[in-house]
Amino acid sequence: MMTFYFGRLVEMFPFFLSGLWMTTKVAFISLIVCTLIGFVLGMLRANDTFFFKHLIGVYVALARGTPFVVQIFIVFFIFPEWGLQLEPFPAALLAMAIMGSAFICEIVAGGIASIPKGQWEAAASSGLTKVQQLRFVIIPQALKVILPPLVGQYVLLIKDTSVVSVIGVMDLTRVGWVTVMRIPEGLMVFALVGLLYFAISYPLILLSNYLERKMAR
Amino acid sequence: MIEFKGVNKWFGKLHVLNHIDLKVQKGEVLVVCGPSGSGKSTLIRCINKLEPIQKGEIIVNGMSVHDSATNLTKLRTEIGFVFQQFYLYPHMTALQNITLAPVNVKKIAKAEAEKIGREKLDRVGLAEKADAYPAQLSGGQQQRVAIARGLAMSPEIMLFDEPTSALDPEMIGEVLDVMVSLASEGITMCVVTHEMGFAKKVADRVLFMDEGKIIETGKPADFFDHPQTERAADFISKILSH
Ligand SMILES: Nc1ncnc2c1ncn2[C@@H]1O[C@H](COP(=O)(O)OP(=O)(O)OP(=O)(O)O)[C@@H](O)[C@H]1O
Ligand SMILES: [Mg+2]
Repeated sequence: MMTFYFGRLVEMFPFFLSGLWMTTKVAFISLIVCTLIGFVLGMLRANDTFFFKHLIGVYVALARGTPFVVQIFIVFFIFPEWGLQLEPFPAALLAMAIMGSAFICEIVAGGIASIPKGQWEAAASSGLTKVQQLRFVIIPQALKVILPPLVGQYVLLIKDTSVVSVIGVMDLTRVGWVTVMRIPEGLMVFALVGLLYFAISYPLILLSNYLERKMAR
Repeated sequence: MIEFKGVNKWFGKLHVLNHIDLKVQKGEVLVVCGPSGSGKSTLIRCINKLEPIQKGEIIVNGMSVHDSATNLTKLRTEIGFVFQQFYLYPHMTALQNITLAPVNVKKIAKAEAEKIGREKLDRVGLAEKADAYPAQLSGGQQQRVAIARGLAMSPEIMLFDEPTSALDPEMIGEVLDVMVSLASEGITMCVVTHEMGFAKKVADRVLFMDEGKIIETGKPADFFDHPQTERAADFISKILSH
């Protein structure tokens, strides 16, 4: 019986690959967007002269303090009531961007806060603008602190993409659910699903560990 | 060149600068001393607007420092600042530390900026350290690079906040030597320091502060040998006993 199902599973492997591709797409696009937004928000948040520092704080707390599945339901089912009707794929990306940016914002703001105030003052004293101070002096130093947890966060976000299956995106997790309905061998199916997730995240885990060691020096 | 007009500043309830009136002439070397917490750092940090003030006005080269209409970038390119803790950029070489502002603020071509940068390094006696990173330099060398960085845009004014306090005793001399030579070149200098030898050698005037007020000013020889106030006498006896 097992071998029979294993044969079926092999037949369905292309389906799994298409799920892997969708997961990769969601992860890749949303990680880039999250990183960009997260850095901008993190820089604003680390800058006490900006009045919306606290506004960002509220957003970050809400986005980090509520389950992602709730957020994605809001984006997919509630936003349409407010006039923003999205297909599952863009809705998934938007929800990922909202959630992931908040986490990355905190990592970036923490890294920036770890740089001594004197570095800002030295740069300011020589006439550099705020943006130049960040770009040339603060961020290059803060990256040492930011990179290891950032890559660690990427791993978490990749795994969080599995939640997008609940609104019908045909990602790896959803492929698993669909397959289980046809091949009642749950362990085998989800072992394969898990293995494929692991294949994307493990290199990043290694990278995170490597960065951690390298930056510690 | 630098003028304080009735300057007052508070940190919360703490009155850190209490009605400061002060004029520093072009080319003058002013030494500021006083007990810890008396407001010395705050005083010179106001000159390039590292600190805001709540009352009064500071005029530098005809520019009102705390007026929001003043071009802050222009103001700051005319003032070099040297910190107690150096604050060199650790991810850049000595030369890059110096050329960062000329290239990005003054928009000087990189090659030209590097030429100027090497001249400044030569001036502080570190020509051969252009490509060294701060971590590879001794404290005294780092502070000299920081001075070279402050000089990068040929400012007319240099501000020093206890430039030798974080240094091992054997390195203090090399930094003071550089400052003495700057003083002889006619740069306007405000130096927070307790180095009496330096003050006696190059200062035109010593200013003694306590509790946010200017208590006494005078020629270094007069001030150190015949202080007019008890507080100053007290302070001098304390730094002498070190
Ligand atoms: N950012 C700040 N916020 C609140 N209080 C401050 C701040 N900076 C300085 N102070 C306080 O203001 C007073 C004057 O500080 P300042 O650094 O100017 O003294 P100082 O004369 O330079 O002392 P030191 O010799 O220790 O460097 C001190 O009591 C200090 O604690
Ligand atoms: Mg001080």
